[in-house]
Amino acid sequence: MDKGLIQQKLDNTFLRRALKNFAAAYPVARAKAFEGMDFEELRGRISDFKEGGLEQLPALVEQFTASAEKAGARVHLCTTPDDANRTILEIIRSKNADFLVKSKAMTSEEIELNHYLEKNGVSCLETDLGEWIIQLAGERPSHMVMPAIHKNKEEVAELFSRETGRECPPDIPSLVQTAREALRSGFLTGQVGMSGANVAMADSGTLAIITNEGNGRLVTTLPRTHIALVGVEKIVPSLTEALDVIEILPKNATGQKITSYVSFIKGPTGGDGRELHIVLLDNGRLRLAADPAFREALKCVKCGACANVCPIYELVGGHVFGHIYVGGIGLVLTPFFHGFDKAEEILKLCIGCRKCNEICAARIDIEGLIVDLRDKIRKPFGQKFLFGTLMKNRKLFHAALRTAYLAQKPFQGAGGRIRHLPLVLNRETANRSLPPIAEKPFRDLILEKPESRVPDSLGPVHGSGSREKVLFYSGCLADFVYPEMCQDTVTSLEKLGYTVTFPQNQTCCGIPARYSGEMEVARDMARINTDVLLKEDADYVVTICPTCTMSLKHDFGKLLADEPVYAEKARRLAEKTFNFSELAARKAGSRAQTPGLKTQTPGLKTQTPGLKDPGPEKTGETVTYHDACHLKRGCGVHEEPRKVLRELAGVEIAEMEDCDKCCGFGGSYSIKYPEISQEVLKNKLETIAATGAKTVAVDCPGCKLQIEGGLEAAGSPVKVEHSATLVAKMIG
Amino acid sequence: MVELFQIAAEAVGAVVKRFTTLSDAAGYVTSAVGAATVAAPDLPPAVRRVLPELTLAAPADFAVAGAGISVARAGIAATGSLLLELSDPTDRSATALPPVHLVFLDATTIVPTLADLAGLLAENLNRPAPVYLSLTTGPSRTADIERVLTIGVHGPKELHILMMEGDATWTRD
Ligand code: SF4
Ligand code: SF4
Repeated sequence: MDKGLIQQKLDNTFLRRALKNFAAAYPVARAKAFEGMDFEELRGRISDFKEGGLEQLPALVEQFTASAEKAGARVHLCTTPDDANRTILEIIRSKNADFLVKSKAMTSEEIELNHYLEKNGVSCLETDLGEWIIQLAGERPSHMVMPAIHKNKEEVAELFSRETGRECPPDIPSLVQTAREALRSGFLTGQVGMSGANVAMADSGTLAIITNEGNGRLVTTLPRTHIALVGVEKIVPSLTEALDVIEILPKNATGQKITSYVSFIKGPTGGDGRELHIVLLDNGRLRLAADPAFREALKCVKCGACANVCPIYELVGGHVFGHIYVGGIGLVLTPFFHGFDKAEEILKLCIGCRKCNEICAARIDIEGLIVDLRDKIRKPFGQKFLFGTLMKNRKLFHAALRTAYLAQKPFQGAGGRIRHLPLVLNRETANRSLPPIAEKPFRDLILEKPESRVPDSLGPVHGSGSREKVLFYSGCLADFVYPEMCQDTVTSLEKLGYTVTFPQNQTCCGIPARYSGEMEVARDMARINTDVLLKEDADYVVTICPTCTMSLKHDFGKLLADEPVYAEKARRLAEKTFNFSELAARKAGSRAQTPGLKTQTPGLKTQTPGLKDPGPEKTGETVTYHDACHLKRGCGVHEEPRKVLRELAGVEIAEMEDCDKCCGFGGSYSIKYPEISQEVLKNKLETIAATGAKTVAVDCPGCKLQIEGGLEAAGSPVKVEHSATLVAKMIG
Repeated sequence: MVELFQIAAEAVGAVVKRFTTLSDAAGYVTSAVGAATVAAPDLPPAVRRVLPELTLAAPADFAVAGAGISVARAGIAATGSLLLELSDPTDRSATALPPVHLVFLDATTIVPTLADLAGLLAENLNRPAPVYLSLTTGPSRTADIERVLTIGVHGPKELHILMMEGDATWTRD
């Protein structure tokens, strides 16, 4: 990705402010629009029927074509952008026209229709206000729903002045009025009108168009010929499914309950030579629909919400974060619609926070698809050695990490910022900064201690017969950078009544390899770890890095799906893998009865007279909590950590704004795109400071490294601690 | 349901007036339209009878008419939306070109949500003939410049809903 362009967008104060304001206003409006509705149920339905539709897309195309033609429309199925462009040109020429009046259609951007038509002597007029602005500026949309969100009113006024030949003041209502007047004659004189469609119904051959401005109705009414350019994936079986799309789209897009206009168009209306041409655009969709690994991308209803919530989009906008289609889904669709060469760089821009997954109207695993697609792009040279040779051999890999401790010495103090540890060994990325690798990793420290340090006096807990056995999977970062965090985990879990063992043969969870598109290596890691973690009989496997949890719980199963024996093992491992906070939370509330634990210290306790359970001890400290992306959205865990902090660590929580917004780390991301990562971090530091808390609690060593680094650099005394450390401090 | 409809429609910038008799509604139309010409190609006979003084514009002049008048087939309470059947392009331009759009709505046709309209929509869409249905909610709007909501881009700047709570069987003539 062009670093200059990224910096330019980061420096564009209007763009930054516009996107930031929108990011703040959007969730409020959206929540209001969905009031009283079950979003999960609605998007679940959409996801299901879209998935079902894609499996039989050719049949739906056939059915839609037959129904629409029966109603008098002419349907043209076009395989390539070229086909579509040519077909549209022919229709226009057959009307002896040289002018096309258009309402918004992303598909038209996709095939670069305007460019083609202009070359062939047909002028095009975009009438959607945002699209017109973009057309006048000679740019491309930076958002699917709000194409000109990057333009301020001064820029618009300048464009309009140039176009109309008279001075337009930068006043929004008057600019809108100017557009109304200037575009009117276009509607009235256009012989051919073009629209897109938001959904197409196979059983009746109807198109539905969702708009606000009213231009969509005009271009489908005044010109005697209407061309609708529609991606084949827009076809759904019937009105029932279409209504779900109409229900969700405006709410998710802009927080509107419904748009000003929803038009249902079946066949050419008005008789007397009026024509409706439906150009169905394939452009790789039918092939994609037949690919079970990636077809879910086509479930997209183009609401744009994945861009609305994306922290990276918020910083750099759609001209960086996407190609023609922008936002998370833009990254996914680009390789299929526009080729891998266009997608290669933008696929790396995703930080992996999964905000998009949470909001997607069609419940697409957008982030997962982005990661899977990286497998298909070219790998940088250094990566080959790191993942090909080094990581496959655990001993070699761990030895290299130990050496890195020595190598980093001269650089210490520069602040190491690497979440997915192995990348420190990559020459390409290592020159920026090195993580503060500990002198002794946890795997060595634990060997110096007896296997289990549970004093007999602690005895069984909860009156149950025996202590539950936990295998501790630390993850590389905690093991090599935060060994004390690992110690605290063991201490806390033991005090809470678990027996903890650390299997020495565990190795990297494979996520760094997977995120870099090295699926084979990730698969190796999955096999090794599954074997290691199932070898010992244990009730649970516990992690303190939610990225590792996701890998153990979700990715191993996916990676090993084609190997029956390992698939079964992965399933068993997934069942018993939990985050620290989940296991700890089980013991919350009952701690007062747990023998051997420190109980109330007089003077500190907040005991209410008359209450049987005196409640947890309080430190009186207030912390703020940062939800790690992979814990909240990857594992669906966000209540447990709070319970653990309140009830086991005895602290109060002062919630920060946007507590679940990414801290900007994203593994090697902060090394590849430090400028973006730092901006994301800046937001986080501001929200932390606003709480006044002296400690930030996290459940992820990566978040700790990132936030701690930011705080240190800013000279802040605020500390960042893993929940396990805070619990250990209290009860250890 | 009428109240809910009114709240929702007003929330998106529509004017809602409730009438029990057609002649009261006619009075409102007269005051709203003034001396302007009106695009109303599909006015029910009953309305024409009570509004003999309206100056109707010819379809070619709809772009300069002061207001358009139409009759809704149904309403949606949750969103304040109107269902219009506009299969004739002339009817469509009457609701799309003039700056003011007046719509009669029989209060008994209001349904709670979009889903409740499915039956009526399907009935229209499943007939063999071409059809154009339009759900209209508030006036035309945009937020394309700096996301500032601005009313009245290409469609009507004002939407007046004349809600008929008395006998309104004439709306189906
Ligand atoms: S995972 Fe996060 S960074 Fe990546 S596309 Fe989704 S929202 Fe954006
Ligand atoms: S991927 Fe999901 S959130 Fe993004 S535009 Fe498509 S439907 Fe909307």
